[in-house]
Amino acid sequence: MTDWTTLDRDLEDVLVGLTKRFAMAMVLIFALFPIYWMFVVSMRPREEAVSTNPNLLLDSLYLENYVLMWQRFPLVDYFINSLIIALTTTALALFIASLAAYSFTRFSFPGKATFGGAILGTQMIPGVLILLPMYLLFVNVQTNVGLPMTNTYHGVIFVYTTFAIPFAIWMLRGYFANIPASLEDAARVDGCTRFQALIRIVLPLAAPGIAATGMFVFLTAFNEVLFASVLASSDVTPFAIGIQRFETQTQTYWGQMMAASTVATIPLVVIFILFQKPIVDGLTSGSVKQ
Amino acid sequence: MDSDTTMRARTRVFVRRITDRVSEDEKTRYAYKLLLPAAVMMAIVHFLPILWGALISIMQIDAVYVSQWYNAPFIGLENYGQLFDFDTTVGSRFWFSMRQTAIFALGTVLGSYSLGLLTAILLDSEFRGSGVARILVLLPWICPAVVVLLVWRMMLLSDTGIINHVLLSAGVISDPLVWLIGPNAIYSMILVNIWINFPWATIMLYAALKSIPDHLYEAARIDGAGRWGQFRYVTLPQLKPISVVISLLLILWSFINFTVPFVLLGQSATRSGEVSMLFIYNYAFQNYAFGLGGAMSVVLFLFAMGIALIYYKYAVSGTFEGEGDD
Repeated sequence: MTDWTTLDRDLEDVLVGLTKRFAMAMVLIFALFPIYWMFVVSMRPREEAVSTNPNLLLDSLYLENYVLMWQRFPLVDYFINSLIIALTTTALALFIASLAAYSFTRFSFPGKATFGGAILGTQMIPGVLILLPMYLLFVNVQTNVGLPMTNTYHGVIFVYTTFAIPFAIWMLRGYFANIPASLEDAARVDGCTRFQALIRIVLPLAAPGIAATGMFVFLTAFNEVLFASVLASSDVTPFAIGIQRFETQTQTYWGQMMAASTVATIPLVVIFILFQKPIVDGLTSGSVKQ
Repeated sequence: MDSDTTMRARTRVFVRRITDRVSEDEKTRYAYKLLLPAAVMMAIVHFLPILWGALISIMQIDAVYVSQWYNAPFIGLENYGQLFDFDTTVGSRFWFSMRQTAIFALGTVLGSYSLGLLTAILLDSEFRGSGVARILVLLPWICPAVVVLLVWRMMLLSDTGIINHVLLSAGVISDPLVWLIGPNAIYSMILVNIWINFPWATIMLYAALKSIPDHLYEAARIDGAGRWGQFRYVTLPQLKPISVVISLLLILWSFINFTVPFVLLGQSATRSGEVSMLFIYNYAFQNYAFGLGGAMSVVLFLFAMGIALIYYKYAVSGTFEGEGDD
């Protein structure tokens, strides 16, 4: 009798194990196929990239796409613009949000709840609501102060940094809260000012959380298209807008578009795999405990 | 050794006393100083434009007045009147776009959350290669959204797309499906948005699963709970707080998402895929109807706030009360 139930248990365990593996495999195929397919098409000449009977396997290594894609329009400028914009945004947003998040976790002050509500409130603002006012504001600054704002790096960076700050504060707050305040007290006994304690004690300890937040900010800035389409054209056109130009009125250069996509994706994937431990730890450790 | 510790403790008490004596005012001032840059920037980019946007919504700003918006006539609630009149073209199209937005947000949150939960549970049962699987599952979240949206656009093409090809070869469908144009567009958007967002849900839920103490499962087993019982009475209640946060953020992010419809559907979006963000953008900028666009944006904003408030009232506050019990 007991033997039968243990056998049942074992059989159940095996079946559950197999089902789990099968499910995991399906999830991984779903998650990875588009990325794989991007690479496969980037390696195909044009007539095969749009074939009605495509091969699922990587069957050609046609590298010409990676050469030709630069010649159609200033793709290299788009890449550089995006890097300048996204990297500066990340650095500025992390710095400003760290100060605010620190203030938020360590002090209580009048208006704290209001500020917290405002942070959450920004997550509900539809971009189209503030798009035209932002454009008008930029034009106003331009005509009245003489400082050009539309189609400039600093204009776009200013807007993107501010967009990133509320969510960055929300993420960083969780990590800072996990760092015991006694460590700072000890540092201050040794003669550090509060600011030095923040820079030397809190920020290094929160490094994984800052890395995760930084990844988030970078991706947000790199992917933004709504404000970019209105505030950042001509010389500062970012990659997110520029890459769509592979799709012309008459035809789409899918092979070259996928080659450009692969070039944009690989550095991010490599950085993520190298630093996945701090990024994943950081992504989860702060917010789970909220 | 001992005297050293007592010395240090004494110094700490001494310092505490000094810091206490420093007036609370100074601490508050310091706290404000650190908040100032963030607060000023948010005031300029978030709050001033909201008021400005609300102002624009009660003005008649069209092609004539856009360069001199401050001279445009105030028309009170006329724009809103047009919106709430379902017989006008813009009124009916706007509310249709709101319906599509709701479908998009609901589909995204249901799909991303369930797939995220399933994947998190799979990753939680340690198997060979689970570490690698955990990294691989996160890749869709790491890839730039614009790039993957274009990849999906290519895969979903009806004549040359790989998805139709695979479905046709497998015999699932007999005729190619039209994914990006017509009534299916909204489902394609949901599918792609799930793909983009489920890794984030997975990793958050996975971390929450890891933090559930083992003794809770042991207690459930002693009480005779099987696999399902443990999941139902231990895992799900423990995951509730983080699930509330995840689902609220997913709903809000989908509700005001512009990138997915804009890039996936291309320049000429079909009606079914025209969620409010895209509809407002197209309508306001193509017809120079900025006042009307402002009114639509205000309505969308109020809806998003309403969702968050209802959510907060029923889910978030309940969660925090529940947390006190254990």
